[in-house]
Amino acid sequence: MGAYIIRRIIQTIPLLIGITIVSFAVMHLAPGGPIGMATQMNPNIKAEDLEKMKEAMGLNEPVYIQYLTWLGDLVRGDFGYSFVKRVPVSELIIERLPNTFLLMFTSFILAFIISIPLGVISARKKNSLTDYSVTGFSFLGISVPHFWLGLMAIMFFAVKLGWFPAGGAATLDGPFSIGDRLIHLLMPALVLATGDMAGLTRYTRSSMLEVLGQDFMRTARAKGLKEKKVIYKHGLRNGLIPVITILGLILPSFFGGAVITESIFGWPGIGKLFIDSVFQRDYTMIMALTTVSAVLVVLGNLLADITYAIVDPRISYK
Amino acid sequence: MKSRKIVGLTLTFILALGLLLSGCGSNSATPPADKGSDKKETTTPTDTTKKTEDDNKPVDGGKLVIGSIGEPTIFNDFYSTDTSSSEISSKLYNGLVTFDNSLKPQPDLAESWEFSPDNLKITVKLKKDVKWQDGQPFTADDVVFSYNIPRSKDYAGPRASDFEKIKDIKKIDDQTVEIDLSEPYAPIMSTLAYSILPKHILKDVPVKELDKNEFNTKKPVGTGPYKFVEWKSGEYIKLTKNPDYFKGAPHIDELFYKFVPDQNALIAQLQAGEVDIIGVPSTDLQTVEDWAKKSGKADVITTQALSYTYLGYNMLNPLFKDKKVRQALTMALDRKAIVEAVLNGDGKVANAPASPLSWAYNDQVPTFDYDPEKAKQILADAGWKDSDGDGILDKGGKKFEFSLKTNQGNKARETIAQVVQQQMKKIGIQVDVQVLEWSAFINDNILKKKFDTTILGWSLGVDPDPSGIWHSKEAKDGGLNFISYKNPEADKLMDENTKILDLQKRKEVIDKINYMIADDQPYSFLYYPNDHLAIPANLKGYEYGPAGLFYNIQNIWLAPKK
Repeated sequence: MGAYIIRRIIQTIPLLIGITIVSFAVMHLAPGGPIGMATQMNPNIKAEDLEKMKEAMGLNEPVYIQYLTWLGDLVRGDFGYSFVKRVPVSELIIERLPNTFLLMFTSFILAFIISIPLGVISARKKNSLTDYSVTGFSFLGISVPHFWLGLMAIMFFAVKLGWFPAGGAATLDGPFSIGDRLIHLLMPALVLATGDMAGLTRYTRSSMLEVLGQDFMRTARAKGLKEKKVIYKHGLRNGLIPVITILGLILPSFFGGAVITESIFGWPGIGKLFIDSVFQRDYTMIMALTTVSAVLVVLGNLLADITYAIVDPRISYK
Repeated sequence: MKSRKIVGLTLTFILALGLLLSGCGSNSATPPADKGSDKKETTTPTDTTKKTEDDNKPVDGGKLVIGSIGEPTIFNDFYSTDTSSSEISSKLYNGLVTFDNSLKPQPDLAESWEFSPDNLKITVKLKKDVKWQDGQPFTADDVVFSYNIPRSKDYAGPRASDFEKIKDIKKIDDQTVEIDLSEPYAPIMSTLAYSILPKHILKDVPVKELDKNEFNTKKPVGTGPYKFVEWKSGEYIKLTKNPDYFKGAPHIDELFYKFVPDQNALIAQLQAGEVDIIGVPSTDLQTVEDWAKKSGKADVITTQALSYTYLGYNMLNPLFKDKKVRQALTMALDRKAIVEAVLNGDGKVANAPASPLSWAYNDQVPTFDYDPEKAKQILADAGWKDSDGDGILDKGGKKFEFSLKTNQGNKARETIAQVVQQQMKKIGIQVDVQVLEWSAFINDNILKKKFDTTILGWSLGVDPDPSGIWHSKEAKDGGLNFISYKNPEADKLMDENTKILDLQKRKEVIDKINYMIADDQPYSFLYYPNDHLAIPANLKGYEYGPAGLFYNIQNIWLAPKK
């Protein structure tokens, strides 16, 4: 197992380099640059000054040189300075990443604890009213875009009812308290969870349906085991195997969703930072965030594979 | 315009939105001008919403939460180019002068200034007993130090051109500096609005590394009304009042700039009471006004924005060579109807390349009001007739058709483009509307002159010099005279205007320039938009104009809620 994990990690290195090459190229293909965006339509700023800034920032080098310089710095653990904010990129990411993690994992766990039982119930009561309602809500959850749901939630629960704060990660300048953090976290986490919750419910349902019809389920019942034990010990454990693969796969979608959800809720995570940096063409920041999220997604998949082996003893990695 | 822009709170919001949605032509910010002067300003333009103070006396205390879409980048005027940054740095620092609501320079850190008879030397007297927020005295050394930053050969920032007319700057004594100019240059006053930075803190930082110094983002120290407390990335910036501010301690204890990147969410936060002040775009005006009236918690205040929106004709295209044809095209446009229908009346029809807010504005320019019949007649006289009966004018086998490019994300411009298309159709002109992503629009189309016509806007500077947009030398590649307007006579006057220091005489020259441009109609000037702010109903003592809500921030206070 240990050797397998190490091998997998080594395998990801060329993959990650590939990702950075593609991102770097795509980013440079987009019109504009970190200097142009805010300054080029200002009659007050001379083209010569901008040229001098470009030179000082190394933006006049050929793209492959710029890439190699960037990669060289990265290998030494240096993400460089933000072109726009003029502070080390790593500083901002370290400040913001924990917030995104908090949001992602909360909604991940919410999605998990809500959708798995719903999927199981739906499968057990196949074609019942419960099943139909769960299915209906699932499709609704898949179809509704995050930004709309987020705004509706804010309008209803924050503006109309005043139950929750309308945005932010904590009360402005208030003292730190867990309760305060939780109440700010709940709405964005739930909104972020909806889309994937819906998908997960559907996967759990179909996977459970398959398992429920298996011989060993009948055997378990014949042994006289309690229904609960049959379903949750024998059924769910087998039914979860494909679901875990899915969990690994939906990790990137949490990142994507976080970008939008963070903007709506003013959540100070890297999603918001990413949007800002894309609009400002802040190359170093874009690359750092792309790399960090690529690493996380790759690790997420690895984690899913390992969990796979834990849940299903038949699978072993050599 | 070759000068500093007034960076009002409003512009911050509108332009911050612009950064995201690609709003106005020029998104860049310039050093703060919305700082107070100790002279009570009485000449406010008619468009300025002004609230007279209540009978009751100002009360100290309270806090204001200002909702902002954009997050600032760096609190150093010599490097920042966004309005969010300059909005905040205008609370932290002062310049030598500031610009009031009529866009005239007023003393800030300067006590007074005087030009030599040949206009090549400015002697600036500084205020006495001004202290930096860390208690050190402010002196002429700080001014010399600050102005030498963008003048250094190691400086790699965007602002060098504003200082290129300064040949030398010397300290005469602790309270006097002398600035030598390479030529008489009226817009130099807007250069004097740049923030002065503390020499005693930054003197050992090489200019090359100044932009990356943590002074700029973590511990800025200025002479301004508010002191920097903290910046929580992605959340807020907190400022606290400077009790020793040289114009008097501000009444409001704390300012928070809270970052909410989504416009709809920002309005929701206003309604939920989590932010106190937001910029309101025209499209949301009705919603916010209705809510403000119903809840009684807020007021929506309005001022004309220091900008205009136009339809520009690429003069390299033979279609638009003839001045008469361009005038006819403007007559084909019912601009009043555009303002009424598209903007709900929230704007004013423009006829000149200057803002009515400026002291250099003159409405005595040729105007081309809506008259489609006359437009048709002029075009017919120029040889444009519908000879094949397809409803489109033609001349020598060539149809009168062109493309109209504008940027995505600006609802007003997108709609106006369609209205222009319909109105042109009425006089037999075929318009092909293309809406493009901002960056591609600017870099690949506008600045490369690959367009026939375009709808764009200009944010104007506090100085009325038209050269930056209209001088033929700006028609070079990457220049902002991308429509390639060339008028040698106007060029000559433009070269002249910056050399005249007398406002009245300079205005006469600028009037002539604007008259020529309006007569040439290289743009169909469309309208002057408005800026709106939602503010707490109990906010007192403010003046709202082009200098922003926080001009003279030390006079603003919050009445206790009953």
